[in-house]
Amino acid sequence: MLQPAESTGAKLVLDVLSDEGVETVFGYPGGANMPLYDALYSHPIEHVLVRHEAAAAFAAGGYARAGGRVGVCFATSGPGATNLVTGLLDAQMDSVPVVAITGQVRTALMGTDGFQEADVTSIMGPVTKRSVCVRDVKDLERVLRAAFRVARGPRPGPVLVDIPSDILKARCPRMDPFAARPMPASVERPGDAALDETIALLRAAERPVAIVGGGARSANAVYLFRELVAMLELPHTATINGLGCATPGDPRFLGMLGMHGWKAANLAVNSADLILALGMRFDDRVTGNPEKFARRAKIVHADVDASEFGKIIPVSVALRGDLRQTLERLVRRLGREQMPRFAGWAAEASALGGALPADRAPHGELSATDVLDAFFAAAPDDTIVTTDVGQHQMWAAQRQRAIHPRNFITSAGLGSMGFGLPAAIGAQFAHPKRTVVTVCGDGGFQMSMAELATLRRYELPVKILLIDNRRLGMVRQWQELFYDRRYSHTDLSDNPDFATIASGYGIRGERVEDAGELRDALERFLECKEPALLHCACFPAENVWPLIPPGATVDDAMESAPQTEAIVA
Amino acid sequence: MHDWRLLERIVGLTNRLGCAYTRVDVRAGEAHYHATIDFVGPPDALRRLDAQLSRLLNDDKEMSR
Repeated sequence: MLQPAESTGAKLVLDVLSDEGVETVFGYPGGANMPLYDALYSHPIEHVLVRHEAAAAFAAGGYARAGGRVGVCFATSGPGATNLVTGLLDAQMDSVPVVAITGQVRTALMGTDGFQEADVTSIMGPVTKRSVCVRDVKDLERVLRAAFRVARGPRPGPVLVDIPSDILKARCPRMDPFAARPMPASVERPGDAALDETIALLRAAERPVAIVGGGARSANAVYLFRELVAMLELPHTATINGLGCATPGDPRFLGMLGMHGWKAANLAVNSADLILALGMRFDDRVTGNPEKFARRAKIVHADVDASEFGKIIPVSVALRGDLRQTLERLVRRLGREQMPRFAGWAAEASALGGALPADRAPHGELSATDVLDAFFAAAPDDTIVTTDVGQHQMWAAQRQRAIHPRNFITSAGLGSMGFGLPAAIGAQFAHPKRTVVTVCGDGGFQMSMAELATLRRYELPVKILLIDNRRLGMVRQWQELFYDRRYSHTDLSDNPDFATIASGYGIRGERVEDAGELRDALERFLECKEPALLHCACFPAENVWPLIPPGATVDDAMESAPQTEAIVA
Repeated sequence: MHDWRLLERIVGLTNRLGCAYTRVDVRAGEAHYHATIDFVGPPDALRRLDAQLSRLLNDDKEMSR
């Protein structure tokens, strides 16, 4: 029996989580974390039982990406913990704040190859910002607090805390909610000299382009970014994680940049004389051949993480610091200066590209791009869209109309299939009243399909727009274009009947395969107040265009397959 | 450094970036330890390694507060 001033390690974990503002955690119980689940039984924190630990990590990531708060996931030792690896690396690659708490075998068993034992902190080292095992209950609160500080920033990311079961059971003093605690470390701000240099470069530029990335979302700098591009009338583009940063409908927004980006965006960057790179990291899917990326441009790179400067592309000016503070200072300074406006160049840049090219589906067959065009036209403005990974992800990224980057959630850096549905579950918990739709392909959906049970259990009105082309489409596309049409193991034509599977979980499922039925089906799907799945059986040979081949430049962009007739959609 | 496992991360990172080390000297203190490591590798990779190590050390410092 605990004394009034006493607690246990497990209860302390939950009390610290509550004190850190955590309301919802995603997890799965097992032997080593049973003390934690026992403490949950009578604790106000909401626990969401997923059907696979991988989904817990993705859901925590989706919750954090949509809600702007730290996402938390629980798993047990050994296989429970190792199932978190992909989701944590996903959070690491896209700078998403997640704290994972894993049970570990009791300390006496550690290192003995005990049942469900794994060296979790070593396994997790390269996929997290920090991974720590707590071996003394006296360290537990300090480590958990530090985990939240490190997860939040300056550059957000995942942190793992591994807790042996005897530490979870150990008695310890109760958490003192009024105890003094370390403040978050202060974040650097760019110096005046670097801002002066940026302004001088802007003044001298004729063809500047701003590129915004996920850093604007992390730093809550979206509205400052919009103010900056509006005050200079700058043409701007976004990485996939920066989609939603542009003011909706701004004609100076050139669309997504990169391998499957809009032609105007890639051409404008290619001919720019100055790039303002804001909270982005020059991923290879953005730059193509880095030697030829924006080769006429000087680069001003603003980022909170100094290790990004010059990592891929040499920079002329590095603005190190929190992007919100950087943009606040830059906008304030620009407001006091007589600055050029770039409306003429912005209009010229917008005209560089033209419409998105698309393949033509045979008459009557459903085209995935038509489905997505119709979906984005019909979805409410504040819909949160998550995607899985593959062709549908790129088609969605090209066409999305997100009004904020927290409304378009995708596994960008890691490209983890199986992300879409659990991320949507996380997003729906972060925003229970919003419409949340996951756009999935048939390959990725089958990696996390068991989470239909989670939708049903919690009555989450998540909608699944399933683009089923009965292929692992992106790999199939590359086999067509770069591997001499040797379609090795990309055929999924024996896919199950997804609508029937959904109904097996008690979820409304509908199948559409005729283009003429699409609009009505979409209307029913979006109006449904419950979870729903719309199975779109699409033409299998549709490709994503444009495509800049890996390591190439916009000059090499392909808009159709060599033997395929292309049309302008 | 406060966490011994950081050495493991540094070794992994060094390998991942195509660098190597010619000397590792570690001395334990009470609450932390000192490591002196001599790295060799292509200049670009060493620069990236240096930046990544700064990040790791900052997080280590923050975790120990």
